[in-house]
Amino acid sequence: MDQIYIPKNRVGFDIGNYVTIRILKEGDVEEPTEKLCFYGIKRLEPIKLEIIRDVFEVIDKYIDNYKNIIITGSFLEKGFRFNDVDIIIVAVGNVKSERISENIGNKIGVNGHIIVLSGNELAIGLETDPLYRMMLSKCVAKKRFFYKTRQTINYKLLDLHLLKSKTFIDNFDILRGKEKYDFVRNMISIYLFLNGNDVTVEVVNKEIKKTFGIEIGKIKDNILDKKSFIKKYKLIYDKSFALILKGIEHGSK
Amino acid sequence: MVQNRNKLIELFIGNISNAIVHEILERAVGAELVTDKYRKELALSFEIAGRYREKINPVNRSLPDKDVDYIKEKIMARVKSELITRISKGYDNIDLELIESLTDKALKDVKIIDSTVSV
Repeated sequence: MDQIYIPKNRVGFDIGNYVTIRILKEGDVEEPTEKLCFYGIKRLEPIKLEIIRDVFEVIDKYIDNYKNIIITGSFLEKGFRFNDVDIIIVAVGNVKSERISENIGNKIGVNGHIIVLSGNELAIGLETDPLYRMMLSKCVAKKRFFYKTRQTINYKLLDLHLLKSKTFIDNFDILRGKEKYDFVRNMISIYLFLNGNDVTVEVVNKEIKKTFGIEIGKIKDNILDKKSFIKKYKLIYDKSFALILKGIEHGSK
Repeated sequence: MVQNRNKLIELFIGNISNAIVHEILERAVGAELVTDKYRKELALSFEIAGRYREKINPVNRSLPDKDVDYIKEKIMARVKSELITRISKGYDNIDLELIESLTDKALKDVKIIDSTVSV
């Protein structure tokens, strides 16, 4: 059997698919599909690429003056364990995100969770917020953008972000697996950021595995040893909070 | 997991306190905070407090005065303690005057206090 080689991430093809090769005739060539920009992604299922193009198509119908559209979040993880598609629309002005989200839902059958940011907000987020850095380290964008900006530590902002992970211990019994993962991820990304590390999805997940000695899937599936998990969690939380307070005390944002 | 009423009240207090501390710090940070839209998706303390509230009887009306006084006092003390920790390290612009009004508002929102009564 002959084999053909094509670039990765080609819409409609997956490794091992059987195809028919024939000589093109005049008029056979369709308009070339728009190229997408991939960040931190080696491979994406063809069906997801189609979904992304559908999402862009819907947004194009509603806004024409956006700077970029970025797809991120669990949708880009391998497999199909996502509840919605996280979409960042970089635009200024009034964007009817609820209406767009509804239309995306109708078109692709999955909810579109839309966040609208100005270019400035995106830039500040990337510079000061580890969660934004992490989310955008793995994304698909309609247009090229620079996500490797410098890191600036603003202790007051990090305090505010870390506070969200504070009640994890008390709420351990009531939290769902996905929620637990979100709290842990938030805290670890802040801890890494405070220590001057680059914050990407891979780096954060690796640190979670190393710190807690557990696979990410087990956290999401809520299969945790409460006592040992909480002990390790508290240690990192306290270390992070101490660093933040020290930073505030020294007045160096 | 079955939890007794007192334990639920304590968990409720912890979450509501955290939500109020967050709100006061958010105001203190002010314009510097422009990009928290993503993290809004975390199950926030206020939402989690609501889950506990749903298990504390009476569910559909305000709690007895004795409980309300205890809960309010404890929330205010916790919030103040958290904020004082930060102020002592030089964190400026934290408005302690907001504690009581935000506590009252939060307790009304989750029907711990009757929303028609002015506190």
